[in-house]
Amino acid sequence: MTKTLLKAAAFLAILGGLLALPRFMDSPYALHMMILLFLSVSQGESWNILGGYAGQHSVGHAAYFGVGAYTTMMLMQAKGIAPWIGVWAGVAAVIVVALVIGSICFRLRGPYFVLASIAVAEIMRLSAINLTGLTNGAEGILVTELPAFRIGGRVITDFMTKVPFYYLGLGLALLTLAVTWGVERSKLGYYFQAIREDQDAAHSLGIHISLYKNIGLVISAVLTALAGAFYGVYVGFVDPPTVLGLDLSVQIMLIAIIGGMGTLYGPVLGSLVLVPLSEALRSNMITDLLVKSGLVSADSKVGLFLKENLAHAHVLLYGILVVLVILFMPEGIMGFVKKLASRRRKEAV
Amino acid sequence: MAMLEISHVSKFFGGLAANSDVSFSVEAGSIMGLIGPNGAGKTTLFNCITGYYPPSRGEVVFDGRRMNGLQPDRVCKLGMVRTWQKVRPLAKLSVVDNVMVGALARTSSLRKAREMAMEQLKVVRMEHRAAFPAGGLPIGERKKLEVARALATGPKLLLLDEVMGGLNPAESEEIIQLILDIKARGLTQMVIEHDMKAIMRISDRIVVLTSGEKLTEGTPQEVVNNQDVIDAYLGESHA
Repeated sequence: MTKTLLKAAAFLAILGGLLALPRFMDSPYALHMMILLFLSVSQGESWNILGGYAGQHSVGHAAYFGVGAYTTMMLMQAKGIAPWIGVWAGVAAVIVVALVIGSICFRLRGPYFVLASIAVAEIMRLSAINLTGLTNGAEGILVTELPAFRIGGRVITDFMTKVPFYYLGLGLALLTLAVTWGVERSKLGYYFQAIREDQDAAHSLGIHISLYKNIGLVISAVLTALAGAFYGVYVGFVDPPTVLGLDLSVQIMLIAIIGGMGTLYGPVLGSLVLVPLSEALRSNMITDLLVKSGLVSADSKVGLFLKENLAHAHVLLYGILVVLVILFMPEGIMGFVKKLASRRRKEAV
Repeated sequence: MAMLEISHVSKFFGGLAANSDVSFSVEAGSIMGLIGPNGAGKTTLFNCITGYYPPSRGEVVFDGRRMNGLQPDRVCKLGMVRTWQKVRPLAKLSVVDNVMVGALARTSSLRKAREMAMEQLKVVRMEHRAAFPAGGLPIGERKKLEVARALATGPKLLLLDEVMGGLNPAESEEIIQLILDIKARGLTQMVIEHDMKAIMRISDRIVVLTSGEKLTEGTPQEVVNNQDVIDAYLGESHA
């Protein structure tokens, strides 16, 4: 009892801190990092519902992210529909897409399901490139100005700073956490995990396998689409490789794998590792550090090589990270922490 | 009244007849034993009855309802549930969570499901194991967990596929008592078993399968004295 109280108190304290943060921190770069973190948490939690709890390892979640992002952006650009209305069209579209994908891919199990999920996402990406009339093809869609958000004629925000995006992102991350929390504490969560652990046994215990897999997929896809719409509106630009690429699908999956699949806070931990890591690589922070520390001179061959190539090395480093996690922490960071805790408890006894 | 009626059930895999023209019925409240040498088609018959395979021919009628073509989850909801010869614990879930998954077939409330699950764990004497991860149980307790989980779905007919396989005599005895307790509660059971002593003790009637066909059917006494059964088990030269 005291443990749950402690947990609740810790959660509220962190939440309070996050709500107050923009008042003390006005650096746009810091806010941008926080927004990327929230986005990553949302993506990871969404994937985790289907991949972590129900054990259906989709490597095609970019499809849902892209449909959410594209629908919202297309409606905004072509028809001038505000994103907070357009996003619901995105949600409707993604439900249709998810059910079509589910009815095809859930006929397959294990690695065959993984391959099918990749194939379907690639079909979506190629469609976005080739249906130029609808999606503007490879050029992508650019929307530079957002309408002001009003309630009853009063302007709530005009989206001129990063602060409204910060709160939107925070809200989205909290929504995905809340949904996961609810799933974990319901029949759905039990049925998802039963399917993950042993599909045939689950079937014999009265679980309608394809129904529950599709429920898991729809929940996961809708949340991912919301994240996609948020990304589109925040960045102001979507094109096929960034919102529908295989890279993105893998990245979404890694958040949960590294943090700990099938756990509530796993994707949060995964994001806390991956977001700073990819930012450090992208911005050449590591090269700068090496130069500053005097280990490498900026004009030397090594220095130039690193500056040139390290930024593109994040995929390689992700790969190495996955290998390390699978070797040493197969249950992710969350599983590793739990194991340490139980070992300490045993030693105390 | 017959709880389960199997009439002329055949199952073909390509040219191989795993079951051919098997017919018998199981009376409500009784225990039907199903025996036969390895490869006789016992588990295939279970699969046909519980919806894992559609029978190629014939009909399965449970509680007055034709079951052909129903999926395993429907079969379970209608009151027929099986256990697995090779046990299938939901390894990462705790013992009580495993049983709760069964109980959730009857309720959507986790609180109620937990109560039902604890009740069934008491029946198999495993309350003290409730919080233990199911993947870490020894084989004897895994078998009992299978039974508790199946019972939690609230079945009228329980199909047990070799629940005593791989157990030591003391553990087998415990399972025998458990099966008799379940019978005393009014449930109908069908039991596949290799341990002849055990099957003789618990069964009201026994069906013998060989090479997919029904060899004979009768009370344990009738079956054990049947010349065909002796031939099938010990070889004709022995007779």
